[in-house]
Amino acid sequence: MTSPSPSARKGLSKIACNRLQKELVEWQVNPPAGFKHKVTDNLQRWVIEVNGAPGTLYANETYQLQVDFPEHYPMEAPQVIFLPPAPLHPHIYSNGHICLDILYDSWSPAMTVSSICISILSMLSSSTVKQRPADNDRYVKNCRNGRSPKETRWWFHDDKV
Amino acid sequence: MVQEHDDEQAPANELGKSSDFYRRIYSEIEEIGWDRLVRIEEDLKHLSFRIVDKKGRVHILEITIDSSYPECPPSVSADVPRIFNLDWSISSTLKDVLQQFQRHLEKLQDFWSALDEIDKCFSVVDPKHPSLAVSYRQIHIGNDCYLLLSLNAQDPRSLPECRFLGSDSDVSHWRKIWLQNCKRWNKEKPFSDNLASVMKIQLHEPPDASKCDQQTECGVCYAQYLPVDDELGSSSGASTDYTCENNNCSRAFHSVCLGDWLRSITTSRRSFDVMFGNCPYCSSPVAVRMNAGK
Repeated sequence: MTSPSPSARKGLSKIACNRLQKELVEWQVNPPAGFKHKVTDNLQRWVIEVNGAPGTLYANETYQLQVDFPEHYPMEAPQVIFLPPAPLHPHIYSNGHICLDILYDSWSPAMTVSSICISILSMLSSSTVKQRPADNDRYVKNCRNGRSPKETRWWFHDDKV
Repeated sequence: MVQEHDDEQAPANELGKSSDFYRRIYSEIEEIGWDRLVRIEEDLKHLSFRIVDKKGRVHILEITIDSSYPECPPSVSADVPRIFNLDWSISSTLKDVLQQFQRHLEKLQDFWSALDEIDKCFSVVDPKHPSLAVSYRQIHIGNDCYLLLSLNAQDPRSLPECRFLGSDSDVSHWRKIWLQNCKRWNKEKPFSDNLASVMKIQLHEPPDASKCDQQTECGVCYAQYLPVDDELGSSSGASTDYTCENNNCSRAFHSVCLGDWLRSITTSRRSFDVMFGNCPYCSSPVAVRMNAGK
């Protein structure tokens, strides 16, 4: 399993804790379709099961997302990665890192774990090929020291997939 | 408009009559209880009483009487879809008026509970703060299409009058569904079930049951009050104090939270102690004064 990323190592601030508790309650009342939050007592790391949407390349496949929250969430985006095995997708690296703008530059506190999940599922659903990003090997090699995807300077290729 | 007041000035020979009138009104109010009297005009001819019905709804009954009272019955008005016909005789008192009104309220309970059900289960766009006298609701049924329902106050569970508002194609689509299914309306079933089965689809629920709370909760930290924390200085425990000026958004924020967010992104600008940026929800420009103590 992945070790805690540097940004998530510090405990949650009171404000972050409060907001996450509310997000969790909202999730329990109204979970996004296709997702299941795996119950733990760790508010700072959520593990979420994703079911590929029916009628898409990922139908009947199940993956796991690991969401780590920084001390000052929601001022900073959570770190979201796929636990191995990561789905084969042009924007998902084999180490589970996801190239999706809202997880990095385009994050805003108006987003929630739930809205991130929906974006990820829609990214999976709109894919037409099951393949790794072109630069997968180079990128994964650079991350070998356990670097967080949040430290990557992402170049967002396109919004077609 | 100038009103002639001459005829209202009581001539001296009528003084005896008017003191009888005052005494009578006072004793009739006494009979009802002064605590239920909300307002009374100096001439005692306009009175308002507060009546609470079984469900705890508060009603104000306005009574107007003229100097020939009690020969001439009082006139009444209230926040009800239709007023009752007052049964009046020379021996009636104001207490009878209140009792008749209360019985009238009983009959309207079903009407109000049907409307409450609509307000609870569907996304009502108009009226926003309905008075108890209003018998219609405009419901958003998706795609900028609306359903205007008018309930019959005397038979609130029956098929209501319906009008569809929206683009021609949407309206004819909904009207077709309505025509096909309106016979399936069943007065015994809850209003929301009926609407769902007649319309074939589940109508929208209100955007969020906790919408009212949300308006005062901060869009960043999701709390109405900041935690009590020395680190927050003078903002410790503070309530939301900033609202997005875009009327379609109107999200509430703690200026500390919004300011911290704006400070953490590169697209914001700062001028002296004011931070300029965009609302995280609607992207409208926002300007937040930064707490000098921080």
